[in-house]
Amino acid sequence: MTLLYPETAADVREIILAARRSGKGIVPVSSGPPHFHGASVNPEADTLDLSRMKRVMDIDRRSRFIRVEPGVTFGELLPQAAEQGLRLNHPFLPRPSKSAVASALEQEAVLIPKYQYDYPDPLLTVETVFGTGDIFRTGSAAGPGTYEENTSDKVIPWGPGPFDYYRFLTAAQGTIGVVTWATLKAEIAPSASRLFFIGSVFPELLLDLAGRLLLDRVPDECVILDRNAFAMAFAEAGREDEFRTAAAPWMLLCRVCGYDRYPEERVEIYSGYVKDACAAFGLTAETEPAIPAAPAEIERMLTDCDRRETYWKLKRGAERELLTLVPPSKAAGVLAEMTNSFPEAGFVVSPQVQGRAFRIECDLFLEDTASQTAAADEALFSLAGRLVPLGAYFDRPYGRLPELLYRDPLALDAMKRLKSIFDPDGILNPGKLCF
Amino acid sequence: MSLPRAVYAELESVVGSRNISEKEYILAGNRAQTPEIPFPHRSADAIVLPGSTEQVAEIVRICNRHGVRYVGTVSGGIPTAYATEENTILIHFKRMNRILEINEKDRYAVVEPGVRHVQLYPEVRKRGLSYTAAAVGPGGSVLVNIACTGGDHHNQYGSSRPTRYLLGVEMVTPEGEILRTGSLEAGAGWFCPESAGPSLRGVVKGYSGNAGHIGIVTKCAIALDRCKGPAETRSEGVSPHSRIYMDGGCSRVYVFNYSSIQDVGRAMLALGESEVGATVQKYFYLPLSLMMTASANEFWEKWGRFREAFPMPLVVHLAPHSVRELEYEEKILFDVIRETGGVRLPRDLEKWWEEHMDYFMIVSRLQSVLRLGGSWLPIKTGGESVRHLCDIGDSISGFIHDFTDTGKIFDAPQNYQIIPMEYGHFASFELLFMWDRLDPNSFRYMQEFCTVSRETDLKNHAHSMTAGGYGKAGEALGRLYCNCHLWAGRIREAFDPSFTMDA
Repeated sequence: MTLLYPETAADVREIILAARRSGKGIVPVSSGPPHFHGASVNPEADTLDLSRMKRVMDIDRRSRFIRVEPGVTFGELLPQAAEQGLRLNHPFLPRPSKSAVASALEQEAVLIPKYQYDYPDPLLTVETVFGTGDIFRTGSAAGPGTYEENTSDKVIPWGPGPFDYYRFLTAAQGTIGVVTWATLKAEIAPSASRLFFIGSVFPELLLDLAGRLLLDRVPDECVILDRNAFAMAFAEAGREDEFRTAAAPWMLLCRVCGYDRYPEERVEIYSGYVKDACAAFGLTAETEPAIPAAPAEIERMLTDCDRRETYWKLKRGAERELLTLVPPSKAAGVLAEMTNSFPEAGFVVSPQVQGRAFRIECDLFLEDTASQTAAADEALFSLAGRLVPLGAYFDRPYGRLPELLYRDPLALDAMKRLKSIFDPDGILNPGKLCF
Repeated sequence: MSLPRAVYAELESVVGSRNISEKEYILAGNRAQTPEIPFPHRSADAIVLPGSTEQVAEIVRICNRHGVRYVGTVSGGIPTAYATEENTILIHFKRMNRILEINEKDRYAVVEPGVRHVQLYPEVRKRGLSYTAAAVGPGGSVLVNIACTGGDHHNQYGSSRPTRYLLGVEMVTPEGEILRTGSLEAGAGWFCPESAGPSLRGVVKGYSGNAGHIGIVTKCAIALDRCKGPAETRSEGVSPHSRIYMDGGCSRVYVFNYSSIQDVGRAMLALGESEVGATVQKYFYLPLSLMMTASANEFWEKWGRFREAFPMPLVVHLAPHSVRELEYEEKILFDVIRETGGVRLPRDLEKWWEEHMDYFMIVSRLQSVLRLGGSWLPIKTGGESVRHLCDIGDSISGFIHDFTDTGKIFDAPQNYQIIPMEYGHFASFELLFMWDRLDPNSFRYMQEFCTVSRETDLKNHAHSMTAGGYGKAGEALGRLYCNCHLWAGRIREAFDPSFTMDA
């Protein structure tokens, strides 16, 4: 396996054209290690490492967007956004080495569902090199004219024309094109905020509460954690048991914010909405819960990546996870099957798209031994099989999950037709998904 | 020319004799009659009314076998909804008009193509929900607006463009197969539009729609939001004098006039940063004036005052959750208006909106825009950042006066709208102009105006519209948009290799 380090879109194009000539596959990778899902691991292909493409091309507060190359990580980008009074809609406690572009392309769960209008959001426009070697820009970045000539902010994601090209690239695991920059939607950094901790024995209550709050667009950050995930995520190393004991079995973390104008007043009003909604569910919204950590520190961590020496998912050495997407009506049933199957696992439940779906993540924290990880992989795959009839949708199918998908021959054929247009020689991440 | 008897008989065997016709008086009622197109459209050779997806698939397969072209249609509001060539049938979806599901828990509705906004909107509103109804009026097809054509929603500021709200889709491909996309293709229901991998959702619709060229969408799910303002509305009177109110203390409308589009843009962005308002929009003053009057005579009587009072109106609907929040939003609103130089409209004019709150739901008075009887055309129907679209708005004054001052088009030089979405992250644009279709030169003037407008944008490299079209037809713009016409052509060829669907 060869490692290739392009620095420009022209480099990527040359590499792809060479791959077309040689027939040797290539697999793009943007984030630094550790890699969790295996999408960028392909023994049949050379690795196209985009980590040297590190330009922050634009941070625009007025039109609220950020344009970056794929090598820019959350660890690097979040502080730069904050300097401009902006923030990204990122996943829960991502690792600092995670590429911001890759996170959006993979449709990772976002933490602020009220800002997410459909699943690719916050991804706006991209430049890509298709498997043909052609360079293409999506949405309003397409034109008129070259990138430099086009005077727009290049923020409209749809099109150009009657097709949404950026949707061919999301969740595609690098099988359609290599993205060489992306425009990401950014949001105003709040001037005031209040974090609520809402505990319950019953996760289904918190699912319904989150749905209620998001219907009214009340919270900014909004995520449900079980006590295992809560402890692993927020405790300092060695204090996880202390956190686990103190935390409620399930916890909804919900932050209300005020922006540039009268921020405290908005926080007060929206805090009232949170408390009213909780009361209707027989729950209590606390700002000072009985946990061995300062709420301010939890809030700081919630709005950043995990900058500690050991990433929270790797405290025991290794981690295996299962990710699924469910509509609200199926969430409780799917979650119950997951928790019954793995009571020791950590669970992160992220409301998405304004509360119209939940991404559920089941994290198995393991020692880094081949036997443990192999057994975990097998057990999680078995669980996935049980979740399908309960309504779970594996829209980000890593590892063996494609075996559970692509059963509709027509849809499969349609996806292969798309693949043949953009990667006619099948050189991009060969063998992944249904290709 | 009529269809061969054998083909007619095959189609009849699918839909039944009551649901197919080639009678002249039936076909004549389904020809394009839009006044802005000054040439007649031909009749289809027959019209069929399928009742199910399976029937649509069977019709498509029959057409393929016999080389017959077909066009799907519902409202007939756009020129592509009609036959343009010989040997073409219309597939009309008036029988497929069922609301199949309204799922309050998962916040979606599943509809067939024949469902109109006037049918679905009240059903979801009374459940406290809403959706982004493209601004085509109550007779428009929900499915077509959201799945098949472009279209922006006048009130998308606090939500987004309808395209964001398209979920699972069932469609009949040009080969006559039934394709399901998103979570539907995995048997997981309607809730997610995206495929697990390269998403087929990208084939269904882009910025503009496919207008049926890649397949006929026979069912789709659309996402639902909470409705803005009270679920219950109150109406009185009879159209065109009807009134629709949103009662209660948490719904209020304000309208301001500006003298600079850049100041309008600053106000939009400032309100968006604070997430204040349910609707914020710079609307076109000519259609607005038509909507605010009950007859052509009344329009001409009042147009002089209206064009002075609100050539550049910023319409703001506040619909927060509580009176306290309303006061908070009003405080920010008036700060922003003061900072940006807006002037509030006289109360007698502003009151019109409070009495016509349907404007903030499905824009139900839209048809009155056509009252003057001239022709009209929307151009620059693109989207971009508020900043960029305000620059495009500014550029219009550089060429439009050559046309308005000489009577070539209606004298309304500020008649464009900018509708922010996602709280000002971006916006849609539309320049709407009208002309006298009885003037023998008017068609030429219209073409000249379109050309000058487009050349201005291309000279400025402004993204005032998306590129579109396949092959040669899309080449002129496509070359300037990353050769997207070539990619579009390849996709079309992959999904419709015989090009039987009407182009």
